Amino acid sequence: MQTKIYLFLFLILSGFSLSAQEQKMTAAEIAQFKEEVNVVAKKIKTLSTDFVQYKHLDFLSKDIETSGKMFFKEPALLSWQYKKPYNYTIVFKNGKILINDEGKKSAVDIGNSKIFARINKLIIGSVSGNMFDDAAFTISYFKLKGQNLAKFIPKDATLKKYIKQIELTFDKEEATVVQVKLLESSEDYTRIVLKNKVINAKIDDSVFSN
Amino acid sequence: MQKSTIQFFLINCLLAIVLISCGSVTKNYTPKKLDKTSIEVPYFSDSKTDYVYKTNISVYGNELSGIFIAKKINDTIHRVVFTTEFGNKLMDFEISETSFKVNSIVSELDRKILINTLKEDFRLLLKNKYLIQEQFENEEYNIYKSADGKHDNYLFLSKKDQKLEKILRSSKTKNKLTITFTLENDIFAKKVVILHQNIKLKIELNYFKSE
Repeated sequence: MQTKIYLFLFLILSGFSLSAQEQKMTAAEIAQFKEEVNVVAKKIKTLSTDFVQYKHLDFLSKDIETSGKMFFKEPALLSWQYKKPYNYTIVFKNGKILINDEGKKSAVDIGNSKIFARINKLIIGSVSGNMFDDAAFTISYFKLKGQNLAKFIPKDATLKKYIKQIELTFDKEEATVVQVKLLESSEDYTRIVLKNKVINAKIDDSVFSN
Repeated sequence: MQKSTIQFFLINCLLAIVLISCGSVTKNYTPKKLDKTSIEVPYFSDSKTDYVYKTNISVYGNELSGIFIAKKINDTIHRVVFTTEFGNKLMDFEISETSFKVNSIVSELDRKILINTLKEDFRLLLKNKYLIQEQFENEEYNIYKSADGKHDNYLFLSKKDQKLEKILRSSKTKNKLTITFTLENDIFAKKVVILHQNIKLKIELNYFKSE
């Protein structure tokens, strides 16, 4: 009997703590949140930010941490520059992926690869935060303390094989993305934290070459 | 007459090639009395360590890079995962000396010949005990021969400090692949190169410390 009471209490408490962390938005809150993000996203012509990437694999004792800088320029130029612990740059530009791996340069044409085009669009959407109109996802919205959270579940079976879910966390005040989480399964994910964001500063075109 | 001379010549050539190849694996080594019957390799054997390496694969002129992750998950099995720099998983295996399971692989890499090659490579890389049947030496190394089914593995231990620096895998007649280790310390390799002799495949692993 006592066990049952404890179990009951535990369930109620854990239910409370869950809802305290992550609360579903109402329809009105969703509309307001989308509007705020869209207003800010529309103003973004360029964006640069520091990032730290944590690769979590359930069987490892520690996340694999890499970090660097990311640059975005309208409409679809994107450069990820890993600086630590190795130098690796990947640029998305005009249907091509340009790579500089510790000085070793290469280019891949992604013009014909649907899946890469999707991923490219998705990354740019994630960074600017403007991907709520994408019909390729089932989207749900949540409130956190000082933050908003949008969860995207791919509808496309091929994409779903690579990415089970994408979670974008937004700063409530600034309405910009502060964290991107790509879930491969329930246990394994990549979490990218964006910080020191600079919006609309001039970015030299050389950043988008390898 | 001429025909049979040519035939004779060809047979001799073939015989010569066979004989040379037969002897090729150990012909430059001097046989030596066996000083141990087994060798343990500690480079991937600690179950508490996450073995994380930046990886470059060169296969028939194509370059592929990413992150190689290995971890010993129980007494016999290693989990091996290869991801892109972005973190997307490209392949995920569980491998022991007798078992092999593919947890996941992206469709672009899902080719039997590739999976079988990597299975053999990783099994050799992660193997931590070799039984020794014969011993040789050259100027630099003590060389230990360990039979492995149709193949032989030759372990090269430097005479200077008795550390394993190279594994050579060969069939009875031909070298198949070599694994070379650059050591950080007695139990850890900071760099590993897997080089195939019969196909154009080279896998280079460089250890990196997370921040």
